Amino acid sequence: MKKILKTLIPIDIAKGLKVTGKYFFKVFLTANRAKKRPHGTEEYPEVPVKLQPRFRGRLTMLKDEQGEIKCVCCLACEKICPTQVITIESGKKEGRKTKLPTRYDFEMERCIFCEFCVESCGFDSIILNHQFELAAYNREDFSIGMLGKEHNMFEVTPVAKFSYSDED
Amino acid sequence: MNAPVQMTLLQTCVMAILQAVAAVIFIFVVVPMTIYAERKVIGHAQDRLGATRIAGHRVGLTGFLNKWMWRAGKVPILSYWRGLPMLVGDIAKMFLKEDVVPSKADRAIFLAAPCLSMIAAVVVFGAISFAPGALFIMPKWFPIVGGLPFNGAMTDMNVGLLFILGIASVGVYGIVLGAWASNSKYPLLGGLRSGAQIVSYEVPLTLSLLAPVVLAGTLNFGTLTRVLAVESSPLAIPLMAVGFLVYLTCGFAETNRVPFDMPEAENELVAGFHTEYSGMRFGFFYLAEYINMVVVSCLAGAFFLGGPYLLPFGLHQFAAKLPVIGAPNALWYVLKIIFLLWVFIWVRATIPRYRYDQIMSVAWKYLIPLTLVLVVLAGAVRFVS
Repeated sequence: MKKILKTLIPIDIAKGLKVTGKYFFKVFLTANRAKKRPHGTEEYPEVPVKLQPRFRGRLTMLKDEQGEIKCVCCLACEKICPTQVITIESGKKEGRKTKLPTRYDFEMERCIFCEFCVESCGFDSIILNHQFELAAYNREDFSIGMLGKEHNMFEVTPVAKFSYSDED
Repeated sequence: MNAPVQMTLLQTCVMAILQAVAAVIFIFVVVPMTIYAERKVIGHAQDRLGATRIAGHRVGLTGFLNKWMWRAGKVPILSYWRGLPMLVGDIAKMFLKEDVVPSKADRAIFLAAPCLSMIAAVVVFGAISFAPGALFIMPKWFPIVGGLPFNGAMTDMNVGLLFILGIASVGVYGIVLGAWASNSKYPLLGGLRSGAQIVSYEVPLTLSLLAPVVLAGTLNFGTLTRVLAVESSPLAIPLMAVGFLVYLTCGFAETNRVPFDMPEAENELVAGFHTEYSGMRFGFFYLAEYINMVVVSCLAGAFFLGGPYLLPFGLHQFAAKLPVIGAPNALWYVLKIIFLLWVFIWVRATIPRYRYDQIMSVAWKYLIPLTLVLVVLAGAVRFVS
């Protein structure tokens, strides 16, 4: 009897319909407001995406308050790197006790963004920044060193022009 | 209600042509809009936006206005119809695709089947009456025949409902013949399933429409709508409410919509009965399904939701006193049809496909006895009142 009643009265179907109907109106009424978003759709190229704080982007070197490179060439990052994309040449500078990198080559095309280098660094001199638009047209653009105006270890990579929003 | 105006032959002809044009426009506007709405409504119900890419930015309908809002870093106001030009792309794709006929197929039947489905779906519109009352009544100075009363259907015949049911069940021939003529296993299985399912659900569908017919005592579409909305007794309200749900269930099954989309179960059968079809022939099946949705919505709206009258189930006599909205108007009917189409999509976003034996057992074990009881009760209500 209970089974027959349950079949005849579509209470379960009504419950399901209530859930989807509620979400329909919730999204429909707020679909146009960027601030109030109950929907999961990212309007990505037009509206920047909010990244999680633990997002792992491109490797970047840091400088301290005096503008000095924090790195002391302990080679911990170079050794721990699974894909061996980091190459360091150390040098000296007048008035600085520790060593200073003369070259710090980072080949992003093979990097797996595992963050081992950042964890192994005892001087907090490198981080993975929050840049994820890393695409480029040329392979050379992925080889990043300390020198160079556009591609260097201290600033974010210039974004390649792919989408409409990147124009003008 | 205005008494039906006796029309001259010329007036009748002009009305018929006007309504034929209206029906064609209705089909070719409402059906693509439904396809678009399907994307958006399912998207919204599932916590996302649906199609947004075309016309959301620089190309298309709203692109020009949207451009400046995107630059200001805001989601544009006019973004409700983002993705609308996708329809044009869909239709163009359907026309441009290669039309393949399998070499071992039964060629004549293979080519005729989609047309059969399509014709069966479209012809029904001839008997559906969008008025009494009117969206517009042509004034007396209208150049043709001294004004046109927008009255009745294209053919407001005495057996309108019978005609609709008869033609609508021809649609299954298109599916079964197309499936058989493809000379392939999966379409054949899909066609068999579809045949069994539609034959099963034809019975409760017709029986659930029989209850209103018994209550009203006529088969004429317009009169049936009027009697059910204005003159039926309050005793019939629970009866009609249950009948509405049963009719809607059977309508879902008849149009092969989710959760009853056995013939095109793409997980089990490759795509069901239209596996071998491509291009515009597949498009005909696709359109026929959506037109059938509209037809089912038209019937449900007319017989259970009051059609052009504001309130259903004989409650319109209370609403009739209201100044503007109380008058019967074809607009109410269109709104009810749109609401029912929305319900179709809403259910699709909610309920997954049933198992085949469950579908059959629902039809034979539950719906047919229930509708038989409904018909008996309808007779009792008519006897009492």
